[in-house]
Amino acid sequence: MTEIPAAVEIRHLVKDFKTSFKKQPLRAVDDVSIRIMPGEVYGLIGPNGSGKSTTMKALLGLVAPTSGECSIFGKDSLKVDSRDEVGFLPENPYFYKHLSGEETLKFYGKLCGIKGAKLRERVGELLKLVDLEGASHRRIGGYSKGMLQRIGLAQALIQEPRLVILDEPTAGVDPVGSREIRDLIFKLKEQGITVFLCSHLLEQVQEVCDHVGIIFRGKMVRQGKLDDLISIEDQTELILKDASPELVAEIKALIERDTSAELVRSGKPRTTLERLFLRETRIQETSK
Amino acid sequence: MNPVSIIQSIPSHVSRIGVIALHAFTQLVRMKVFYFLAFFAVILIASNFFNLPQHEGPEAAGVNILRSIKSWSLGAMTLFSVVLSIVATALLLPKDVEDRTLYTILAKPVPRIDYLAGKLLGVLLLVFISLLIMNLLMTGILQIRTNLLVTDQVAMAESRGWPAEDIALLKNDILAQGPTFSLQGAVFSVFLRATIIASMALLISTFSSSTLFTTIIAFLIYFIGHFQADARAAYFADQAGTSDGWISKLITLLIALVLPDFQLFNVIDAVIEGQVMPLFILGKLTLIGLFYVVFYILASWFVFAEKEF
Repeated sequence: MTEIPAAVEIRHLVKDFKTSFKKQPLRAVDDVSIRIMPGEVYGLIGPNGSGKSTTMKALLGLVAPTSGECSIFGKDSLKVDSRDEVGFLPENPYFYKHLSGEETLKFYGKLCGIKGAKLRERVGELLKLVDLEGASHRRIGGYSKGMLQRIGLAQALIQEPRLVILDEPTAGVDPVGSREIRDLIFKLKEQGITVFLCSHLLEQVQEVCDHVGIIFRGKMVRQGKLDDLISIEDQTELILKDASPELVAEIKALIERDTSAELVRSGKPRTTLERLFLRETRIQETSK
Repeated sequence: MNPVSIIQSIPSHVSRIGVIALHAFTQLVRMKVFYFLAFFAVILIASNFFNLPQHEGPEAAGVNILRSIKSWSLGAMTLFSVVLSIVATALLLPKDVEDRTLYTILAKPVPRIDYLAGKLLGVLLLVFISLLIMNLLMTGILQIRTNLLVTDQVAMAESRGWPAEDIALLKNDILAQGPTFSLQGAVFSVFLRATIIASMALLISTFSSSTLFTTIIAFLIYFIGHFQADARAAYFADQAGTSDGWISKLITLLIALVLPDFQLFNVIDAVIEGQVMPLFILGKLTLIGLFYVVFYILASWFVFAEKEF
């Protein structure tokens, strides 16, 4: 049986950037290896300047590795054909302001070899998917930040790629827009599309990713399955609904009687500020 | 999901270059560059009223107007085509890098040579269409003025009792100053020169990081190109006794390779004077234009292929 090629294979990637003549080159990425299998959603997290974007650019052939190799579905990243099945959304994308949303998608579609009725159909589908049907004839110059991200995501998906690379997909987007982008990532995941993203919003990464890598000062410090990384092995969580104070007291007493177990914390679980914000704005919207 | 289901065919270099070229053309058109055609129309109309210094007899008075129309029109065509070629080319590449739109294009299966060739072709398409419109306007006005002049001058000659052969000669002299094939050749030469300049600006913009730098250097090379042949000749005339022949030839070749000799395009001035442009000159200019375009595109590719973003 032949082995399925990884969607993303980065092996011992090192990337140095020249600074001035005398100074040592700046090492942006230092021996990073990442393997993402088809259908996985991988989140690369790390502080600003830790090498996330450079890693993505090396994977797309936009920068050449100083050493190491990158490949997409088994094809060398430095070769043009490796980009046949990739969609990329850069951080803070600016598209051609003179084009409308629809024209933008058509332009990228034609670059990928899609033509005629197929192209029109695909553009329509994507505009619907990213909820920009109403703004399809408006010039991109007049788009909001969230709309730009969504049209950016649509252009990334134009040729139905098997891998989507998203660099800070929710940067600068309001919580509602951010949630919409998160939902779109969920849809991609359902369709079996591999997603490789990097983000500062750790909560969102936690929500959508099943594999995570933590990069710091160019080095991969930790990576693996999200559940394995964040579970605290020696603790157990019980969440009760409509529990009476007597029942809670009884459980606590039971724990106290056990010599090895210890109650670390009890109380009411909290929602996130994001969920609160979304719930309240939705209520306001529906009450109009 | 099968990508083959949506991508009908792997796009050829030609179709991808076409898509990028049409896009670059649309981008420039939507920047409202065609507004300059209104200025051209004003220059063309004004050229009807300019009086050039006159040394010939009264029968040549009208011919001067024809020369004036050609001179001002071809001058304006040169100016607009050179400015458009340099500024538009210098603008497109750094703008894509700055706006990060280049990332999204190169992240698609687009070879870098296709991107460069597409951008250049877009600019050239704009220059070509601009020149075509300007040429139509010039030829139209020139045709009308020539017809009027022929009628006037023939009537004047007949009233003075000139022999038929002299009238025919006068008519031919006037027609030679009107819209001729040589004039079309001169306009095509203006386009060829713009082509060389645009591809040179493309090369500069691949290693420069700003539009301003590219524009300044491109204009500088354009001006140097007008006297580099004289400078070369003068320098090597001085050195003739001292240096080896082959070194001189090699240096001359290298200078000519990098810096085009724009004096070759002075044939346009001869056409304004009413002279005929031989076909072989036009062929030679076309070959020179093609050589520089191919040379500059390959050099641009060489730089751009290694460029990191």
